[in-house]
Amino acid sequence: MRRFPVWSWFWFLLGMLYFFIPLLSTFEFSLRMLKGRYTFEAYRVAFQDPRFYQSFGYSLLWAVITIIISLLLVVPTAYWVQIRLPRARPYVEFVTLMPFVVPAVVLTFGLVRLYGRPPLILTTTPAALIVGYVVLSLPYMYRSVDSGLRAVDIRTLTEAAQSLGANWGTILKDVIFPNLRVALLSGIFLTFAIVMGEFTFASLLSWPAFGPYIEEIGAMRAYTPQAVSLMSFLITWGSIMLIQWVGRGARGQQVQIGGAR
Amino acid sequence: MAFLDINHASKAFGEAKAVDDFDLHIEKGELVSFLGPSGCGKTTTLRMVAGFEVPSTGRIVLNGQDITDKAPSQRDVGMVFQAYALFPNMTVGDNVGFGLKIAKKPKEEIAERVREMLELIQMPDLGNRYPYQLSGGQQQRVALARALAIKPQVLLLDEPLSALDAKIRVELRYEIRRIQQQLKITTIYVTHDQEEALTLSDRVVVMSAGHIEQIGSPFDIYNYPKTAFVASFVGTLNQMRCRVVDAGSGKLALGDQQFKTSALVKAGATEALVMLRPEELHMGVREGDNSLNGKVESVAFLGSVVRVHLKLGEAVVTLDALNERKLVLPKVGENLTVSFPPHGCWVMG
Repeated sequence: MRRFPVWSWFWFLLGMLYFFIPLLSTFEFSLRMLKGRYTFEAYRVAFQDPRFYQSFGYSLLWAVITIIISLLLVVPTAYWVQIRLPRARPYVEFVTLMPFVVPAVVLTFGLVRLYGRPPLILTTTPAALIVGYVVLSLPYMYRSVDSGLRAVDIRTLTEAAQSLGANWGTILKDVIFPNLRVALLSGIFLTFAIVMGEFTFASLLSWPAFGPYIEEIGAMRAYTPQAVSLMSFLITWGSIMLIQWVGRGARGQQVQIGGAR
Repeated sequence: MAFLDINHASKAFGEAKAVDDFDLHIEKGELVSFLGPSGCGKTTTLRMVAGFEVPSTGRIVLNGQDITDKAPSQRDVGMVFQAYALFPNMTVGDNVGFGLKIAKKPKEEIAERVREMLELIQMPDLGNRYPYQLSGGQQQRVALARALAIKPQVLLLDEPLSALDAKIRVELRYEIRRIQQQLKITTIYVTHDQEEALTLSDRVVVMSAGHIEQIGSPFDIYNYPKTAFVASFVGTLNQMRCRVVDAGSGKLALGDQQFKTSALVKAGATEALVMLRPEELHMGVREGDNSLNGKVESVAFLGSVVRVHLKLGEAVVTLDALNERKLVLPKVGENLTVSFPPHGCWVMG
């Protein structure tokens, strides 16, 4: 008879407590807005604030634009590196990792210095913010796409399509993108989660977004920021769960390029 | 001018020359195999025909048209890959019809051609399945149907059976030949499996280190190899260094045992390398044949063939005897007389 894995469960539960206690505490605190009883008053107040929807809407817009630009930039680049420039992979990976090395504040000031004066002034438009977000999401988007490309024999699929008369556009549209569905969705959801909660870029470049809004109400109120933070967290969590769900759903159509089943 | 001319094609990757002065002319409807060990340049040559590699020198002419600089998508060439390369996101039917969709054929025509192709590969009811729902052999059949659906001028097969198990490999080998002959399509087949090349091909091109060693029919390649490499690479071969007793009459000696060969022996030579296929050797004495005595070193039962290794002088030779129920197997360590006809061996050097 197998022994019950006591220590495995112990470490698992310890990890869960470490993860959930701060969240539960925040949640519990957010319910104490009215003295002496638990209510969802903080949430009601948050939802009644028009700036909540406004900042949320802006962040949603920035996220969508960032995702589109990231996809257009990263997919062809990663694809080309995979099939034509495999030697460039370490350099491209290094570039995509820059946001992990360079703090967001430094990146923002770099953007301001570069695009805040002629010949190309972008800081007066949301372009600078989007550029920042694209850079910020690079490690996640590139890694998702790259691992997706590595999971299928993309070179042979490309050659097979070419031998059947397909041009590059058709290959990308009909062969590459559909076979990267899970990888692309992972990149999209991660980018979405990052942009929705981002603070530094939006705050320093003075553009409305959900992150600065949370910070702003945090300075004025006690309970509502906890509620909004929790909602922001749930958005991130929901995105990750979506990745899991989509990935699991795609298993039925798992890619198999070679070998018998 | 042949249907497909590969005129003195070479391909170098940096300093390394993968293919060197490859010159081959293939007639319409012919199946030609490129046979050779890994790294001999056979796949690179195939990829030059497909357009995935550009020759460093030389030209490729298909049906009178120079295609050397054309993109793979413009060559009218169908290709089957070792790794199947079926599009995982498409059904079998969509895979087969992909090339026709690219060519903007009407939907009815595509559906009809897909049905025709699925019948050709004997999978008429599997059009709605996805590649992952098929076995390896079925996937490769679909890959073949997909390549043929566009009615290419030339079909290229790059080790298509390598990833399959032995039984399926043999089945599919005959299937490929049947389809090729039915459609009379000019085909190049790359393989490192000599049995595959000999079974399937009208002609075999044996390659080594980037160049052609010999071009010939399977019969000629096996029985009349022109170089030591071809002789040793294709089939099993006994090589015995012998003393020349009388070059004029073809009399040679292995240790103190003499025998005759009808092959030409270089006048004045003192030594000669004698080549002998294992199936030319027989157990026992045969009227008119050379007889030599040796000691049995091992006996291996291979099913239809019994393989005997025996020591003849200083050389260890292999003898293949066809298995039959009444065959008396020799014992390890015993002396055995073997015979072979004078025309059964040939001499090099």
